[in-house]
Amino acid sequence: MTDRLSDLSKQALKDIRNSSTLEELDSVRVQYLGKKGSVSSQLKKLSKVDPDDRPRVGKEVNKLKKLVENEIANKKNSLNDKKIKSNIEDSALDVTMPGRTTIIGNPHPVTSTLNEIEKIFLNAGFLVEDGPEIEDEYHNFTALNIPENHPARAMHDTFYFNAQYLLRTHTSPIQIRSMEKYGVPIRVIAPGKVYRRDSDITHTPMFHQIEGLVIDKDINFTHLKGVLHDFINTFFEEDMKLRFRPSYFPFTEPSAEVDLLSKDNQWLEILGCGMVHPKVLTNLGIDNEIYNGYAFGMGVERLAMLKYGINDIRHFYENDLNFLNQFK
Amino acid sequence: MKLPVEWLKEHNKKITDVHNLIHKLTLAGIECELIDHNKKQVIDFSLTPNRADCFSLKGILQEIAAIDNTKLKKPRNQTSEIHHNQSLPIEIESNQDCPVFVTRVIKDFDNQVSSPSWLKDGLELCGFKSVNLVVDIANYVMLETGQPLHTYDLDSIKSKIIVRRAKNKESIKILDGTSKVLNKDFLVIADKNQTLGIAGIMGSEESGISETTTSIVLESAYFNFETIMGKSRLLNLYSEASLRFERGVDPNIQSQAVERFTELLNQEAGGSNGPIKQTVSDKNKPKNNFIFLRKDQIRRTLGITIPNKSIVNILKRLNMELQEKDFGYEGWSVKAPSYRFDLQDECDLIEEIARIYGYEKIPESTEKQNINLQLNSLRAEKRDEISNLLCNFGYSEVVNYSFVSPSMNLLSKKSYSDALDIQNPLSIEMSVMRNSLWPGLITNLSYNLKRQQNDVRLFEIGKVFSSHKRIPDEKLVISGLVYGNRNNEQWGETTTSIDFYDVKGHLENMFDQFKVLQNISFKAVKHNMLCPGKSASIKLKNKTIGFIGELNPELSNELKLDSNPVIFEVDYDALEINKNISHSSSKYFPYSRRDLSILMDVDIEIKSIIKMIDALKIKDLSNIIIFDAYMGDKISADKKSVALGLIFQSKSRTLNDDEIDKYMLKINHLIVKKMNLIIR
Repeated sequence: MTDRLSDLSKQALKDIRNSSTLEELDSVRVQYLGKKGSVSSQLKKLSKVDPDDRPRVGKEVNKLKKLVENEIANKKNSLNDKKIKSNIEDSALDVTMPGRTTIIGNPHPVTSTLNEIEKIFLNAGFLVEDGPEIEDEYHNFTALNIPENHPARAMHDTFYFNAQYLLRTHTSPIQIRSMEKYGVPIRVIAPGKVYRRDSDITHTPMFHQIEGLVIDKDINFTHLKGVLHDFINTFFEEDMKLRFRPSYFPFTEPSAEVDLLSKDNQWLEILGCGMVHPKVLTNLGIDNEIYNGYAFGMGVERLAMLKYGINDIRHFYENDLNFLNQFK
Repeated sequence: MKLPVEWLKEHNKKITDVHNLIHKLTLAGIECELIDHNKKQVIDFSLTPNRADCFSLKGILQEIAAIDNTKLKKPRNQTSEIHHNQSLPIEIESNQDCPVFVTRVIKDFDNQVSSPSWLKDGLELCGFKSVNLVVDIANYVMLETGQPLHTYDLDSIKSKIIVRRAKNKESIKILDGTSKVLNKDFLVIADKNQTLGIAGIMGSEESGISETTTSIVLESAYFNFETIMGKSRLLNLYSEASLRFERGVDPNIQSQAVERFTELLNQEAGGSNGPIKQTVSDKNKPKNNFIFLRKDQIRRTLGITIPNKSIVNILKRLNMELQEKDFGYEGWSVKAPSYRFDLQDECDLIEEIARIYGYEKIPESTEKQNINLQLNSLRAEKRDEISNLLCNFGYSEVVNYSFVSPSMNLLSKKSYSDALDIQNPLSIEMSVMRNSLWPGLITNLSYNLKRQQNDVRLFEIGKVFSSHKRIPDEKLVISGLVYGNRNNEQWGETTTSIDFYDVKGHLENMFDQFKVLQNISFKAVKHNMLCPGKSASIKLKNKTIGFIGELNPELSNELKLDSNPVIFEVDYDALEINKNISHSSSKYFPYSRRDLSILMDVDIEIKSIIKMIDALKIKDLSNIIIFDAYMGDKISADKKSVALGLIFQSKSRTLNDDEIDKYMLKINHLIVKKMNLIIR
């Protein structure tokens, strides 16, 4: 009996060892450990064994069963590992193939620039206000201290609809509208489209401006200089050299034009600004002995051109995807 | 205005470094640049409209002296010899329009003499064409002194010179050969019979001097700039004279200019001089009043304290008259010189002080923050959200001009009554305000297809315009256009065209993001620009907020497109940022799904069936998915098969099969018995 068990054990271990797939191993398991398997039948035969020998033989049969079970489990593990490994080998990807893509668009560079500027001023506590693009004479000119027939009106060539309505030539009317709406003190920026009857390599008949206005007690020229320099440094993400030089706008006094020193050592005009003319405030019923402030206005395309190195303003309105998609 | 550097150097020996001069002037508010003209240096000045006083060599020299704090040489007040007594009577209708009018008759000069080269070349450098000696000298004196002069042929003037307002519809043929029709807002110079010129702008052809002229009347006037202002713009007729007159000429230099002209003409071509005949109304000459300049206001505006001595010095350099108030502690009474029309208020004087003191010397300070924070970022947030979403769906943003051609506006609207025409457009292509963003997007599509972009997705956020009873109206809208393939061409995917339902899905996602989707419905609609049967209006509750559809194939055909782009336009204001998110903490219970395939007529809207099922009010039916729609060979041509996935899920427990079977029975009954449809 013991010899028989020993043979069986040898054969079983050999069969297990020779199994090369999980399926073969499983049939080996059935062959030995299945209901009718040879190890199982040894257990069944125990009842026929001499009762005195039975504990010893039983122990040996159980030992054999354990051994086969263990071996099968081990073999199964190793075959499993092998199978995973070969699966991995068989299913290797060409990782150099391109990934699956979808089409992604991007905002227009003017919009991104506007958003950047807005965010800088929002952080400084400014309101953002919109206004109509079709304005009346009063808000576009008269309220800004530009009387009818004043030569300054010729500075902005205006598109007219009739005697009363026109396309706004600057975002400055939003200054007036904001003060009418909120009163003072106020701190506001007004972005938007403006229109001038002009078209060449540096001018398009429509472009974008951002106007800023701060009215409060004790605001002076040093604040104007400070805020604008901070803004320019933030926008261009580096310390820029600026110069303020006297200029003329009917609605500011003193007025200044701000130039920025470019990489090739050229002074480039980037914005106009000044202390709000007392007449503008008085026109709105604001006491200019208590309140004063500053205003500034800048061309968004101009800033975008400087920041991104665009040389022709007309690119912005061709809407060529080759151009637009560079600003992703 | 252009001036040769040579002329400046002649009068101011200290000018050596021209670049430095330009820098100094620019930083004092006189913007200028150096240009090279035939190897001669010329300074080109871009003068702001307030600085009328700088419109001459004298004015610029005056400015340089003020900046440098040097004394200007006193001009020689030369008077010419008088040879005869002839003069013309002058009749001025309104002294208010013309406070100063000076004339001189010069006879018998040599009209064979041509302009000397210093004059000819100098004028050319200033951008003037040399005409003849008389005209050249007149132009030169204007450049030198700032006083525009006009010369008439003596023989062309009958009996006297009249300065009067034009009659209504009075017409005049001017020097450039064109005719202008005037009205009583214009001031003219006339004689008894004819109009000799438009005051301050241009003379008539008839009265101008010619090659045969040997005797002239020289006119040197000061016209009220308010009378001249805006007239050039009305006539679209600009001249060097009008440029100066409408900004304001010094009212005290008219005689000097006549003398200077006479001197130069006599010097070159002789001639016999008559007396200076002048009509001056001192009462109507502009006068600068004393302005109270408060020391404290200077500090309040500029944020710095400038020493009294410097303030006084600056004002004196600018030829201002001043009186101390309380020894300069309070401030000064200041009167600007007669040539500075722009200095009317205290703030104007403060600018003068600041610009001569130097803007660069005023420090920068970070402004104190004393305004309450306000929640105002929503505007930027909304734009960002829309933009991000559409960009992620593959759309690129474009910005088009707000004006279009009338034919582009007619694409979307037959009626033209509410169009907003620009009175003075740059061209017919940009003559009317757009009533839709679609024509712009379609133009962008054609442009990009020509540049071999095959998959085009564009959006624009911008205003559309209309007018109602001549009152303009504007509305912000979001528009989009898609054309081409659904995905980039790539391995592992078959290329399919993007279609109506892709775009509808984009919009539904957008509406969902702005939490209005449950109130949105799409209704089949007819629209001029859209393909019948493939177009819908978009409704928020009952209000139409936009349109979506395939472009009308007739238009696609005109544009030579292979397929119809899908376009949409939605009111921007329909999307509102809804910040109030309410979070519900419900427990999870598993859901069960039952599928249902329904055969129906093609013209039945699927939305109507879902509405009917919803109307059953089965509270555990949490969602209905449409997972397939089929039309084709396997069913008859007038039918379609739609497969619905019904999701049952309770909020309080796990549903059992019996319950769901009961629900399904109800739904089957509805579809089969009430709606007479077939369940496949």
